[in-house]
Amino acid sequence: MAETLPTLKKLERRKQDMILTYDDETTYTVTYDDLRHACPCAKCSPLRNEDDSARSLRRQIESLPAEKPTVRTIGKYALAFEWQQGCSSGIYRFERIYDLANRRDPDRGKPYVHGAW
Amino acid sequence: MAMLTLFRVPETGGWVEVGMIRGPIMADSPVSINLPVASNAAPAGPSAQEQKQMEQAYAQMKRKMAMEEIGRKIKHKIMVLSGKGGVGKSTVSTGLALSLAQQGFTVGILDIDITGPNVPKMMGLDGRRLHVENGRIHPAQGHLGVKVISMAFLLEDEDTPVVWRGPIKLGAIQQFIGDVEWGELDYLVIDFPPGTSDEPLTVAQSLPDIDGMVIVTTPQQVALLDSRKSITFSESLKVPVLGVVENMSGFTVNGTAAPGTEVSIAAPGGKTLTTTADDGGKFSVTLDIFKEGGGKETAQEFGVPFLGALPFDPGFVRGGDDGVHRIVSEPEGASAVAFAKVVEAIQEQLSDGADGGLEII
Ligand SMILES: Nc1ncnc2c1ncn2[C@@H]1O[C@H](COP(=O)(O)OP(=O)(O)O)[C@@H](O)[C@H]1O
Ligand SMILES: [Mg+2]
Repeated sequence: MAETLPTLKKLERRKQDMILTYDDETTYTVTYDDLRHACPCAKCSPLRNEDDSARSLRRQIESLPAEKPTVRTIGKYALAFEWQQGCSSGIYRFERIYDLANRRDPDRGKPYVHGAW
Repeated sequence: MAMLTLFRVPETGGWVEVGMIRGPIMADSPVSINLPVASNAAPAGPSAQEQKQMEQAYAQMKRKMAMEEIGRKIKHKIMVLSGKGGVGKSTVSTGLALSLAQQGFTVGILDIDITGPNVPKMMGLDGRRLHVENGRIHPAQGHLGVKVISMAFLLEDEDTPVVWRGPIKLGAIQQFIGDVEWGELDYLVIDFPPGTSDEPLTVAQSLPDIDGMVIVTTPQQVALLDSRKSITFSESLKVPVLGVVENMSGFTVNGTAAPGTEVSIAAPGGKTLTTTADDGGKFSVTLDIFKEGGGKETAQEFGVPFLGALPFDPGFVRGGDDGVHRIVSEPEGASAVAFAKVVEAIQEQLSDGADGGLEII
């Protein structure tokens, strides 16, 4: 890991997106649609392997009513988002959230292989 | 023989060719035929297939309710996983269960390793079979009152592993989880088979509120690599990683000397370790044999907690063979102490409200 990950200090939930503030004083906005599209769970992840299914996942997420999620920390390494509707199954490692903040593919171009071990 | 050429299909108003009617049709006998045409008329009652589906849905619902009940009665559920077999996952599962039981908690252990269920052996329950009462499965009681359910209880003969096909296997696991009468438990430790992924997925989806998974690794590079994959995998199951345990991390030497004697031992790396023989004249020292710390590095790299290291202790192998777990035979020994530390680290994670100073608004 070449890049050292700054520590997330503040997460402000707004209607459609969240504002993230890191300890290096950088601030980012991540939309809930982007966040939900990047869900790392075993059901959503494989859908991003193909363009078609990725698009339909996106459409499905965009058609959900706007809502603010409940946010929970998982140990000291990740966050979980709870939604009234749609998938709440993924655990988002802080790196993943930082990738999203920086508009980088959080899957790093790697296709999801179920149970790759 | 009637000469029919076309038939009118009432529901659709379409026409069907006679060629579809099989067998002779007598002129003035009633004709009953099954037309291969989709009908949109309402059926008179549920078909056999629908009946079956309803029954399945009902069974599914009952199972789900049973799971939720289990979820309520069991305070903490901990999955124990490893990417590789033979790293000591079952040793750690049973060790954690016993260590918790030593502290006075009510503990259960669920062994779903179908390929090599060895938990019963380690818990002194070799050769047990399933105990079913009123349609509920009752766990066997192992050392220190730990309740044990193992896939081994289903096997006719320990030496012939059952080859379960995927769906049957997963169905069996679900059934198992739903049908076991655990009663109230403080902790349920679940021992998984290595190297697969369907079982954890099934369990994670069936059992509500799993606290997290403990990943067992050894200091060797290959095991570490696999443990990294398990950490990533956990995120796709929404099961938090409670932490990484490094097993076989050093070698424990046990000996005897006059009570109170100070003993010094030459350890690898030119180190000298000293200890004092206890009142019974026993002493034990742990030496580093493999390169230590790989588990810790992996944990740090992924930002997950490191739960501690367990020494290489030949007593585990003996215990696995004669059915007396190390923690039971030597409750004050170095291994028992190491397990107690791991348990403490896990409990710290479970109570962890620590958010690392993140403000969520
Ligand atoms: N810390 C340890 N010290 C010595 N032997 C160990 C230790 N942990 C496990 N073993 C031995 O290694 C073998 C494999 O352990 P086991 O718990 O069955 O692994 P797994 O469940 O991962 O396949 C067993 O013979 C066990 O007694
Ligand atoms: Mg095992």
